[in-house]
Amino acid sequence: MYAAASGMAAQQQNLDVVADNLANADVAGFKAAQATFAPIGPNALLGTASIGMRENVAQGKLERSGGAFDVALDGPGFFVVERDGMRGYTRAGSFSRAADGSLRNSQGWQLRGVRIPAKAQTVTVAEDGAVSVDAGMRSQHRAGRIEVAAFNAPESVRPLDATVFAATPASGPARPIALGGDRHTKIAFGMLEKSNVSIVESMMAILAAQRAYEANAKGVQAADEMLRIANNLHRS
Amino acid sequence: MDGIALMATAMRAAKARLDVSASNLANVSTDGFRGHVARVTLGRLGLVTTSRSDREPGPLRHTGRAFDLAIAGPGAFFVRDRAGRISQSRSGSFERDAFGRLADERGRVLLGSRGALVVGADATIDSRGIVREAGTARANLRLAPGSVVQSGFLEGPNVDAVHEMVDVLEAERAFETAEKTLSAIDEARQKDVNDVARLKS
Repeated sequence: MYAAASGMAAQQQNLDVVADNLANADVAGFKAAQATFAPIGPNALLGTASIGMRENVAQGKLERSGGAFDVALDGPGFFVVERDGMRGYTRAGSFSRAADGSLRNSQGWQLRGVRIPAKAQTVTVAEDGAVSVDAGMRSQHRAGRIEVAAFNAPESVRPLDATVFAATPASGPARPIALGGDRHTKIAFGMLEKSNVSIVESMMAILAAQRAYEANAKGVQAADEMLRIANNLHRS
Repeated sequence: MDGIALMATAMRAAKARLDVSASNLANVSTDGFRGHVARVTLGRLGLVTTSRSDREPGPLRHTGRAFDLAIAGPGAFFVRDRAGRISQSRSGSFERDAFGRLADERGRVLLGSRGALVVGADATIDSRGIVREAGTARANLRLAPGSVVQSGFLEGPNVDAVHEMVDVLEAERAFETAEKTLSAIDEARQKDVNDVARLKS
């Protein structure tokens, strides 16, 4: 009975994860997650248990967005962001200019390495992350360089919110990577990375989880029925 | 063997069958899981359920991740767990750990022909187990002879949910039948003990 119940719990968790993926399918830079399971007990007779989540770090499609400070990563890596002294790593590049000239996303995470001067009229970002501003009258200024970092095991990063991640012992420390050129990750300016959630696959996963849940519920029912019959034995 | 005791073993055997099916069903989302097949035999001790692991390979499922590995057809690759034990495996979702080794969900590292494999993030693995980085061969997977490696695929569980549900129902009915028979024997004995004794008095 408990084996079947563990299967129901697993499918419920599966559904939660897929639902979370679907809910964020339109969030730029969102990475789909997947729950993984392993059998437990001798001969797996105790059912199943979750052994954690894994982020799917596959590249999402890049889409022209038109935002004045939007950037996307073409290739592996994460933008390095900061909030209240805490480091975060994200592939969501939708930033806007704050009053102090820093670039922040909607959750207040600040893009490291860049400060836009107040008199800037247009901003351009090169493939290698160099930010230059045009303050009118053909005066070009450098305004910093976008920091991008990579992990040895990016799938083991831990989500802080929908799109910002933190390093974990399993992911290894973040290390800065070179940008631009044919061999390296490039920065695409004026573009955003769409989420890598596949709606069709998610719907299929929901159907499969639902059916598996029902099948496990049948197992619980059958065990319950057996116990009921055994309990009624003494009356006959 | 006494009828009531025999029926009790039949009920216990049916319960054990249900346990096997329930654990199979619980793992219909566990990649690489091998289901168990229950078999009920009649021996000197009555009905006994034994189970063995089902060796049929599960269906391969496309994932597109370069380090999801499965073996098509016969064969295996080798992994080493944290305690240093080396075992064969036919499917695993590997990811690069902090040292660049490929480790699966349970922390077992993938072995090459010269110990643990260390690869770059953009490495690819072809069907013969050759690891390439930027087009040049870097290492070989340690493989059982005749193995064909499928990168970007995982082996799903070899459990058929419909089949298991039928087994659950069958076990439930077998339990019921044994219980009904047990009750019938019990009733007959009741008659023997009470009515037959009354006739003689």
